[in-house]
Amino acid sequence: MKKNEPMSESYYYILLCLAKGANHGYGIMRMTENLSDGEVTIGSGTMYGATSNMMKKGWICEIMSNEAGLERRRLYQITESGRDALSAEIARLKRMLKNAEEV
Amino acid sequence: MSKQSKRVFRMYAAWNYQKEIDDLNSASDKGWQLVKAGVFSCKFKKNNNLRYRYQIDYNSITDMGRYIETFREQGWEYVNSTFNGWHYFRKLYDPSQPEEAYEIFTDRQSLEEMNRRWARFAFILGAIEGLMALAEGIWCIDKPRMPSLILALMCVLVSAFLIRGGLIMRNPDSAHRRKGSAAFLPVLLGTVVICGTLSCVLMIMRPNFSMASQADSVSTPMVDNRFIDFEVRYPDNYYLDVDIDAEAPVTISVLNAEGNMVYTVTEKSFHENGIRLWLPAGKYWVSSSYESGYEIKCSLD
Repeated sequence: MKKNEPMSESYYYILLCLAKGANHGYGIMRMTENLSDGEVTIGSGTMYGATSNMMKKGWICEIMSNEAGLERRRLYQITESGRDALSAEIARLKRMLKNAEEV
Repeated sequence: MSKQSKRVFRMYAAWNYQKEIDDLNSASDKGWQLVKAGVFSCKFKKNNNLRYRYQIDYNSITDMGRYIETFREQGWEYVNSTFNGWHYFRKLYDPSQPEEAYEIFTDRQSLEEMNRRWARFAFILGAIEGLMALAEGIWCIDKPRMPSLILALMCVLVSAFLIRGGLIMRNPDSAHRRKGSAAFLPVLLGTVVICGTLSCVLMIMRPNFSMASQADSVSTPMVDNRFIDFEVRYPDNYYLDVDIDAEAPVTISVLNAEGNMVYTVTEKSFHENGIRLWLPAGKYWVSSSYESGYEIKCSLD
């Protein structure tokens, strides 16, 4: 895998949402909508595909919530390599933005 | 009381899935709610008080629990899956929401992944069918006969259908996405079933025998010894294998009901496989004539 391969918007926002802490699919979807002022939405099919692929890449993993009194739920958690991928993408985006300002 | 449920026989090509979704949605608007989807037919229940928006996904799911949960948390109710990997979901329709709010694929990448999954399946199956057509075709060049020819043509048809389907599926902007007549798939499927059955039946109907006879010495020569009777039920190429080992020339002939020879050979030593005989339907028999010790084998398929 190339280090600075552009990431899809859905992948980017999912990782971004998980950077703050583990979350379930619905939480990621709502957080993404809030962050992007409704510009970015992640439908169920896209969410399932993106989380499956990122689990395969080892960027995120699945955990079960253990909060007392709450129903056990499936949560996604970002991994170290997921954080690396996100940082690389942010650096790439910053560079692109900087280049745009320079021109 | 009006009919509360109905079964609709309708097939969709994979690349027409958006049309299927549109049809399910408009059926729901008319009060017919899909309750069980199938490849050949769908079951609907009448409920005029509900309106749903449907979505279909093609996926091979390893973790069905996570899959259904991912949809459920965004308000999608899992309807069912067909045996060939299509999953049906529905969500209650809220007229204040735009139709785009009911998309399950919100970026091009995930939609393309779905399309490619089906395309890959179609290409693999198409290639297998193509190889089968090739094998049958080579078989046909060597020994042309009706059942193999029908099977080869059927494999070519299925292979072409799958590979064309895969190409359409891989191209999201293909003009064929929304095209497709309702009769096409049933006709194709019917053709495949008819061809497969016909080929099997024709294969079973072929006369098939293998006879061997031998004698160390013969006191009186035999002329026109009736070796075997057989019946040809449809005109086609039939293939004869003949083996003769004798001290004096032996004659083996194939005769039709009128007593006309369709094939004859007189040799002391003769070994030939796959002698092609074009035989119209009718009764035939194999005769042998010999005057000394002999060993003969004769088979037909």
